[in-house]
Amino acid sequence: MIKRKTILIISIIGMIVSFPPQWYPLALKVQMTSWFGASDYNPLPQSKSPVIKVSEPNCPEDVSGWRNSHTIDGVEILDTATCVADNPYLIAASVLGTNNISNTTLSRSGLSADAIEKGRDLDGDGDPDEIHIKLEIAELNGSSPISNKPVTTYNIAPGISPGLWVFAPKLAGMSVENFETQVARSSLKIPSPALRVEEGDEVKITLQNTHYMPHTLHLHGADHGFVDDNGEGNDGVPLTSEKPILPGESRTYNLTPRQSGTMFYHCHVQPHVHVQMGLQGLFIIEENKPNNLLQTMNIGAGHVRVPSKSSRDNYDDEYDLHYMDIDKDLSVNVQKTNDPRLITKSMHRDYDITDANVDYFTLNGRSFPYTFRESLIAAEMGKKVKLRVVNGGSKGLALHTHGHKFKAIERGGVPLKNSENSPQDVIWIPTSQRYDIELSFINDGKHSYGPGVWLYHDHQNQGVTNDGIGPGGNISAIVYKDYLGENGWPLTNGMNYDQYFSADYYNKNIPIWESIAPSIFSEPSKDNLLALRLIFMAFFFGIFLFGLIRVVFWKQKS
Amino acid sequence: MRLIRLPIFLIVLSFSIAAQSQMHSHHHHMASKGGFVMNENFENLPNGCEKISNEEKITVRANKSYAKNIPGTIYGMSDYEWNFEPCSRVEVTFINEDEVRHMWMIHGLPKYLYPAGMFHIEALAGESQSGTFIVPSENQNYLVHCDMSQHMEMGMRGQIIVGKGSGDLWSVTGITDHLYRSSYLPQYIIFLCFFASVLGYFLLTKLVRKP
Repeated sequence: MIKRKTILIISIIGMIVSFPPQWYPLALKVQMTSWFGASDYNPLPQSKSPVIKVSEPNCPEDVSGWRNSHTIDGVEILDTATCVADNPYLIAASVLGTNNISNTTLSRSGLSADAIEKGRDLDGDGDPDEIHIKLEIAELNGSSPISNKPVTTYNIAPGISPGLWVFAPKLAGMSVENFETQVARSSLKIPSPALRVEEGDEVKITLQNTHYMPHTLHLHGADHGFVDDNGEGNDGVPLTSEKPILPGESRTYNLTPRQSGTMFYHCHVQPHVHVQMGLQGLFIIEENKPNNLLQTMNIGAGHVRVPSKSSRDNYDDEYDLHYMDIDKDLSVNVQKTNDPRLITKSMHRDYDITDANVDYFTLNGRSFPYTFRESLIAAEMGKKVKLRVVNGGSKGLALHTHGHKFKAIERGGVPLKNSENSPQDVIWIPTSQRYDIELSFINDGKHSYGPGVWLYHDHQNQGVTNDGIGPGGNISAIVYKDYLGENGWPLTNGMNYDQYFSADYYNKNIPIWESIAPSIFSEPSKDNLLALRLIFMAFFFGIFLFGLIRVVFWKQKS
Repeated sequence: MRLIRLPIFLIVLSFSIAAQSQMHSHHHHMASKGGFVMNENFENLPNGCEKISNEEKITVRANKSYAKNIPGTIYGMSDYEWNFEPCSRVEVTFINEDEVRHMWMIHGLPKYLYPAGMFHIEALAGESQSGTFIVPSENQNYLVHCDMSQHMEMGMRGQIIVGKGSGDLWSVTGITDHLYRSSYLPQYIIFLCFFASVLGYFLLTKLVRKP
């Protein structure tokens, strides 16, 4: 038998020998340097060779030709510059009404036959003034009792699919693309569709609650009665006017707005949760003009491909820009269980918004790099466009344009005085506020600094990330014609976007500058020698402990 | 508004009736005011069927009130399981008693008869739709569900058993268990488990000491 004290001495020597010299105390290091000089060169761990990650195509091919200009049932639909565009048949149905189009167009639009009904021309100016819109509510990236993956999926960026709710157009058929996939149909996306009606229209909006929680519709900023003609609540507020619409039930709201402007609509049941989950959309009241056939729904906001009369008179193009933010700690609750009682509890009682922060920042339902597929603003020298901006997020938005100074012309649906609308390049937009912005492409160093690919984004630092990984968030770009590829992808001066189109990048697995300077900025490999020394040290520490216990306790016994 | 819509509906209706008579027994997608039926099949026999073995008529009601008796569901149907002899011709009447859209659709049917392998009935709020299809000749279980987002997950999930079937599907409402079942544990379960393990330890020491 080895003596107890020998065990202790061996273990102490073992620990000292295996202790990594790089962690010696400075005084010891200095003393040793005076005796032996500096240690020999011991190369730092090699850089790992870059792992090739699978990346999605930056700009998917437009197989159906949806980007092109179309004339459908007599409706002229503008072409759009971006890679991914809305279904033009849905746009045509939205302009004429699902009750006034051919069967083919209805079927290709994917809408239900009563999704948007347009009736009589009440003021005799050549456009329908009776508008009946039907909305449903869909959950994206929800859970299932037969799958551990999200169902009815919708990615806001590569590999990022938070649970979301949305007011959806009333569709015909399934909620997914087809039977082989769980991908949501192209018309099921956030934000809820931008709705467009005319000043003086008799508007009805029927909310058919297809979801599993109670909801309502609140027309924020739009001129509407507190009660409807039957004395029923019309403000969508459970606190003051009406009971929430239960799952499987339906309610019709009505309004005849007397003032035009850019307004907002959202659910007003537990709004601190429901608005944040995505139940929000732009509500735009256009000026009353003759023959003003409006695109009643702009799916997921974005480029308005059938602009109103007043937009055509004053601008070359119009864009609806809907900003949102998402808290993954809230949205994950619909993915953890499939029991509506448990989901309701975790979202409305366990989740505490006063302790919360947001992680994702979307423009028209996508974060960078997907924003470059859908939300580019196409610029042409000498032209000017109108942007209708809403901040539906829970944080403020410091909207900044590169290469341009813009003019805010309306705030919250009310025109700004000349003294209030001097050109600027950052505008602060608080939660739920709307700004109408005039963006001119005049190369005079005041409006525009010339052609290029100019970013526009929230200038608050978190807003340009996807859960802290940049570039991400609501970054998009103003792209001049010479810098726009045939397929709608911007010509970024040789910059490669492949790594951003890989889920691994936003899962935080790719070194940020690896693609531009491999080896210099690649991941260092691990120091196995250091690890081995620590393991040995721990081994001798174990022996030391054993010896110590024996020395201390056995002495007492004997 | 109603008045101006009426002639348009009449035109659509007459068109769809005309189309129906022309395309009888073929795959079609009939849009009408109350909903539509897709991939109806009156006559084409599946492989292995020599003739129609049986004429079946079922009525299925969709109503959220059916969910009240089944914990953790929001939407419901009057039935969740149907048994048919192989090669039966089934006429389904789907009555939607809710104020929202619903579907009754089957997956996995032979693709040579049913495009994408599906038979699909959609009924708008308060409407009823009927459709006919012929079940295949093999013993097989087929998924029936509503494909509105979360409606299957929240209760509208059933199965059709042809002949002896091929084994129950998971999560058939009120009939089979969830494949991914949530845990409904009391709050202090971790402490209860700890006390149980301590109890077990001391019980054993007592037992071992006494010979």
